[in-house]
Amino acid sequence: MNDANHASKIARIIEAYPADRRFALAAMQDMQHEFNYIPAEGLSALAAYLGCTTAHLYSMATFYKALSLNPKGEHIIKICNGTACHLRGSVNLATEIKRVLGIEPGQTSADGEFSVEYVNCLGSCALAPVMVVDGMYYNKLKVDQISGIIDRYKQEDAARKDAKDGGDDD
Amino acid sequence: MSNTLTITIDGRPCTCEPGEYLYDVAERNGIHIPALCRSDAFEDHRACCRVCLVEVEERGRRKVVTSCVYPVERECAVYTNSEKIIEERAVTLALLAKRAPSSDVIADMAREAGAAAGGAAGFDRLVTLDDEKCILCGLCVQACDSLGTGAISTVNRGVDKKVSTPYDEPSEDCIGCLSCANVCPTGAIEYTQDATSRTIWNRTFELAFCERCGAPMGTKAAVSRAAQQTGIEEPHVCDACRKKELADEMMRTYRYV
Repeated sequence: MNDANHASKIARIIEAYPADRRFALAAMQDMQHEFNYIPAEGLSALAAYLGCTTAHLYSMATFYKALSLNPKGEHIIKICNGTACHLRGSVNLATEIKRVLGIEPGQTSADGEFSVEYVNCLGSCALAPVMVVDGMYYNKLKVDQISGIIDRYKQEDAARKDAKDGGDDD
Repeated sequence: MSNTLTITIDGRPCTCEPGEYLYDVAERNGIHIPALCRSDAFEDHRACCRVCLVEVEERGRRKVVTSCVYPVERECAVYTNSEKIIEERAVTLALLAKRAPSSDVIADMAREAGAAAGGAAGFDRLVTLDDEKCILCGLCVQACDSLGTGAISTVNRGVDKKVSTPYDEPSEDCIGCLSCANVCPTGAIEYTQDATSRTIWNRTFELAFCERCGAPMGTKAAVSRAAQQTGIEEPHVCDACRKKELADEMMRTYRYV
């Protein structure tokens, strides 16, 4: 993504809100949604627009788990670690993911494809243990299903990439 | 002063206006309540350190309140050293001492409070943080914000919470004024200063000197910010020399009067 495009996207997100500090969180959520993280230039641009300092927004951005200041992967794997899922072995899911992808909760894979994180209760305790990949729920998971799920996302990506490369040839 | 209230603090009658904070009333009447996160610099207090706990008896009921933010609304009896308060203060300070073991202020207060309560036991099982002085009261952030600087804020949450600049990097907004370090009750904010510069929050500032006596007047950034905010010309001499200059001028003016 080029810089001008990036900056204009940030400006569009920010200017959708009135210049009032109470909209800080909403604007940051939009940035998170757009970029999968909050870029530093986004934070300073928002601070300038709202008339507060970067420190105020940085405080909020580090407080909420839903906001991230580091680039997240293409696919975000959320492992529920609520009480029910925890008891049903959500930690084992994380261990299996670490075996497959080599990353622990809170980390992003080196190729920028996957991010893994623990989340608190997703409200689907009857389906424990639950894992959510890009908004898709996988329930009553067993450890041996994990690598299959991750492979599917890898294959989808590879197929999309192939199609794109093929398109370029025309 | 039409409607004043009379309350008793530790048996001593004290007059106050409705809405005044209990801590202020006590201090005015010479009754000292220990506290950490309370600063006279601000009108609103944080009630964060929980050291200023007192017991209030109102309408026959007793409750424990933080005196720094408890407005006196009706007649009541206040106990700053009841058995309950002595114990709770000792516990609070013992916990703070675990949190900030490097702070001498807290260590002294904890020892004193612990002794008053006959020794606080059972805290050995708690983890002590290494080299920590900060109790996360947020006074420094309040000071920075109140100056309109807003260079520091509380970062992260839970056990990782701390006070810092954005991204832990030198802040563009900081002016090196030391307000944060000066207001800190435990001396947790470190800075270094040599003959020409001051370093705080990983950023080094050039100092401004009095043109007359050569004494440092603070950082250049802080001096010009103060001038900008008050709308007066940037000072070239320190406060003491300015007074001297003014006195000299007065002397010259009125010499033959």
